[in-house]
Amino acid sequence: MNLFSWPAMGFRLRLAALGALTLAVAGCVSEAPVRTPRTTGQVLVPPAAAKPARPEAPVVQPPLLPPPPVMPPVAVDYPKTLAAAGAAAPVLALARQAQQSRAAGQHDAALGQWQRALRIEPRNAFLWHEIAVTHLKLKHAGQAESAAQKSTSLAHGNLWLEAQNWRLIATARRVLLDVTGAEAATARADSLSAGLATASP
Amino acid sequence: MIRIISPLLRWLIIGLAIAASVGVVALSLWLIQLDKEVRVRFAGVKWVLPAQVYAAPMDLYPGAPITVPELRRELDRLGYRLSDELSGPGTYQIATDELRVDVRAFSFWDGPQKEQRVAFRGDASGLTTIRAMGSDQSIDLMRLDPMLIGSIYPSHSAEDRVLVKLDEVPPLLPATLIQVEDRAFEEHYGVSLKGILRAAVTNAFRDGGRKQGGSTITQQLIKNLFLSNEQSYARKIREALMAVLLERHVSKHDILEAYLNEVWLGQDGNRAIHGFGLASQFYFNKPLNELRPAEVALLVGIAKGPTVYNPRKHPDRVRERRDLVLKLMEEGGLIRADEREVESLSPLGVQNGKAGGVERYPAFIDLVRRQIKGLYREEDLGSEGLRIFTTLDPRAQERLEARIVADLPDLEKGRQLKAGTLQAAGVVTSVEGGEVLAMVGDRNVRFPGFNRALDSQRPIGSLAKPFVYLAALADPGRYNLYSLIADEPIELRMPNGSRWAPKNYDRRLHGTVPLYAALAKSYNLPTVRIGLDVGVDRVHDLLQAAGLQGPPRLPSMFLGAINASPLDVAQIYSTLAANGYLTPLLAIREVMTKEGQPLSRYSFQLKQTLPEGPVYLTNWAMQKVIEFGTARWAVSVLPAGQQYAGKTGTTDDARDSWFAGFGGDRVAVVWVGRDDNKPVGLDGAAGALRIWGRLMRDLNARGLDLTAPAGIVEASIDPQSGLLADNGCAGAISVPFMAGAVPTSYAPCADAGQSGPLDWLKDIFR
Repeated sequence: MNLFSWPAMGFRLRLAALGALTLAVAGCVSEAPVRTPRTTGQVLVPPAAAKPARPEAPVVQPPLLPPPPVMPPVAVDYPKTLAAAGAAAPVLALARQAQQSRAAGQHDAALGQWQRALRIEPRNAFLWHEIAVTHLKLKHAGQAESAAQKSTSLAHGNLWLEAQNWRLIATARRVLLDVTGAEAATARADSLSAGLATASP
Repeated sequence: MIRIISPLLRWLIIGLAIAASVGVVALSLWLIQLDKEVRVRFAGVKWVLPAQVYAAPMDLYPGAPITVPELRRELDRLGYRLSDELSGPGTYQIATDELRVDVRAFSFWDGPQKEQRVAFRGDASGLTTIRAMGSDQSIDLMRLDPMLIGSIYPSHSAEDRVLVKLDEVPPLLPATLIQVEDRAFEEHYGVSLKGILRAAVTNAFRDGGRKQGGSTITQQLIKNLFLSNEQSYARKIREALMAVLLERHVSKHDILEAYLNEVWLGQDGNRAIHGFGLASQFYFNKPLNELRPAEVALLVGIAKGPTVYNPRKHPDRVRERRDLVLKLMEEGGLIRADEREVESLSPLGVQNGKAGGVERYPAFIDLVRRQIKGLYREEDLGSEGLRIFTTLDPRAQERLEARIVADLPDLEKGRQLKAGTLQAAGVVTSVEGGEVLAMVGDRNVRFPGFNRALDSQRPIGSLAKPFVYLAALADPGRYNLYSLIADEPIELRMPNGSRWAPKNYDRRLHGTVPLYAALAKSYNLPTVRIGLDVGVDRVHDLLQAAGLQGPPRLPSMFLGAINASPLDVAQIYSTLAANGYLTPLLAIREVMTKEGQPLSRYSFQLKQTLPEGPVYLTNWAMQKVIEFGTARWAVSVLPAGQQYAGKTGTTDDARDSWFAGFGGDRVAVVWVGRDDNKPVGLDGAAGALRIWGRLMRDLNARGLDLTAPAGIVEASIDPQSGLLADNGCAGAISVPFMAGAVPTSYAPCADAGQSGPLDWLKDIFR
């Protein structure tokens, strides 16, 4: 439990961490989340193996302390679409255009539209994933792999999206005739998917 | 009678008859040849159509970080006119609680956007709603037409034009042209005897001064297209004959259209402004179809002689000429008397030279020219009228320019330097996508001379240091942010036998310092120590992987004995800013044909070239540069609560003052120095940082996204020892580490294992 430094954390963060601790205790999870500790404040993403909290589990209430904040349910149900991930209206409008272009086989136009969306939300992992998909359609396997990696870098622990990215990387590597690399990527995707399956409610 | 004629005379007549016949035959042959020439040459007229360069269009959507005043500023830049009510494309109106705009139609690469009337509302943070007027329909996303920022023409020709079609120009323009230049245009066969006679009479009764020409529009076109400027009867005759022949082959419509595009209407240095399409932009910063009658009159008026009638140099003379044309327009029934009166009262409306939207951004256009060179043949660039859509963000450019213009004199005053001593260059790029958004290559920001942002190769000094620390942090078994590094003298014997004994900038030694602090404080000796330990090759490879071409392989590179341009620096810092993903910086997004068909799109290329975790740690240390290191001054100007990363750079004797840094969406690099390479007495913090800090503020640059990537864990550390802390340690801080490389031993202050869960909870609410 030495992974957090309390003085350096904000009050909200401490509350969030307390909540996580409570849940972890309740769910008999001994491992604290280690990813993204400096920005957690909203939803703490448990490791893939974590079991969802049982609401009936007894919660240890320390005396003389304010009641613990109400925490949102542990999010194992990762957002799977741009809209679910909270993309802004202009980004969704561009996504619709890009999907029309894709349906019409105009992948270069689609790429331009995704990139325009990226100028609005440059760190949106779903947009990077779509860019990777489009590069793959355009047979730019190297670019597809890079964009998928970038998507994973920005996925903020969305394991579902990470699994999608690894599957795409596997395909891109097969196009590049990198058989070993493709197998490794598939294995990565499979293990993520397996973790998601066990973690889902 | 016949006998009376002497044999001599008879021979004379025969001779004359033969000569006349030969003459007629020769004339006929000449005419046939001339006819062929006219046909071939007119058919082959290839307009010199330089590529037109556009800035990036402004994307507008609810939530866009553009306030209504900023939007107004952009409209002004694009030549939109404020009016009491919307009166056609290119006008806007300020209502009590919204800004209404008649947005011009424009052909974008992904399709046309129609002219539309739109109402915008916003607050202090940006636009809140966008609504199509005349309906309740809200608009999710739209674009303004992009700003025309220049042209690219081949070096051997400096003709510039924007092609227009007769059917698309406002009818008042050709009508005025005919009224002023050639009233019989619709009737004559290429030459007008009436016109010639009138000119002859007028000229006969006038001494000196400007002579009246009797040339028809057709003749003028022939002269401009095919003939020299020489004043001779032979040329006049040739011109008249060719005009008659041209009229036999080409319709009045095509002749008039060619004239509209050919006529020379002004000069901008070496660049010749041809045709009404470009002249409208050049003088009024707006398209032809938005000209008022007085503006049409001005353009038609100056066609007579753009040097004599240069509206920027001789406004009074031009005003007189314009009013004369307005009078002729009224006489011809093209405008009403009351209209003429109003129009005559209006100012010339000529935009102030280079501020008018054309050739405004010489440094950026220079970059575009270099990037496009490898993509298209020079002759195509000069003749095909390609439309090049670039990444330039006029707002970012304006802010960069404003900072350099405002801050350099302050820096000079502060150092008691003579005004004009310092030079500067700056680059702003986007973090993702590698777009060059703004570039300045000279403190005189409109001066199209030496482009320091691209061509000035200066030692980068301490800007190289983050790559030394990156090399160390990429070896987590041996280095972390709190590794203690000895700040002790170092002396090296170089391969050429010389000795190299680097010193700290403050000439002092600081004992043992944590690694991140050595970077934050920009200490030289710990940097060299680390560099020597990880090896020259490793640092060299990382700099190259970040996008620097051919850095040297010498220990002096640890301290920045590397020559690079501000753009080169922007490249390597972009790779750091983008979590280790290299995207070659681009200035061009799309190229379209002059008809508006998409030709190519240039997608950015992406490749992870630096390891993500170590880059995160390096950027963490670079935040400390601003938090409490050499750049802490910036805290006073940057928005509170936001984190930025950067590094100062100073070279020997403070000859170059650099700052390079980034937030979540913008990378900016600023260089300040002297062209003669003399010391400026400014280190990076006292010079370039001042410009950078305010620039990032002015750009509304977002703070860094502090989310740690996979493979990074945070641990509580005792800052004294760099070892694990627990509740026993006062002042422990949270520090990121590569997973698996968190220190395993506890600091002396720690009472490890002693604390219970209750202490935890107390801590949480402390």
